[in-house]
Amino acid sequence: MASETNLRLEALRAAPLDKWIALSEDESKIVAVGSTYEEAVKNSEIAGVSDPVLLKTPKVWLPLSV
Amino acid sequence: MAASVGVISEITLQQYPLHGGGVTYSTTLNVSIALPSRNAPRTKRFEAVIDSGASRCIFHASIGRFIGLEIEKGTLEETLGINGTSRNYLHEIVLFAPGGIINIRAGFSEDLPIAGLLGMNGFFDHFKVTFDPTAQQCEIERIF
Repeated sequence: MASETNLRLEALRAAPLDKWIALSEDESKIVAVGSTYEEAVKNSEIAGVSDPVLLKTPKVWLPLSV
Repeated sequence: MAASVGVISEITLQQYPLHGGGVTYSTTLNVSIALPSRNAPRTKRFEAVIDSGASRCIFHASIGRFIGLEIEKGTLEETLGINGTSRNYLHEIVLFAPGGIINIRAGFSEDLPIAGLLGMNGFFDHFKVTFDPTAQQCEIERIF
């Protein structure tokens, strides 16, 4: 059985790029997507997830250097 | 000398996919923010990278707008990164982090490629941060 860490990583790998994504409370799956933070929050509420974790995906997955 | 308030959190480094395969790691913390006014609604939790290279906490402007900030009415601050300068607008906000709320002056940027950075001013001045690469963990201890 895949660990939550691996499920999270696979969810991120499949996530749309340059979007806001809402992960489930256990961060194992994507429950909503949006072009803005607000849109992703609204879509997560529509999906019935009240306590998501929001992330912004980059335009391309590269090592972070900001 | 700083004193601990006894709130210690163990953070496991998060894995992120890399374009072309493989993974990279970052130390992140799920936080939320709000306006400093009493009973202001707070954001949902979002993931911010713990980054000692950032001089202050910086959040994406999209989150700032969500809590009601008029981003460009903040104080303009230009910052220097390895890819050049970027423009941040400073606002007073409340950061919800382990150990309770922190009143901070944070930057908000349209150009931030991620949701947030937890930097020196506003985060590292409130936590003792210990990285343990052997366990791929980070321990943060709230201080005052």
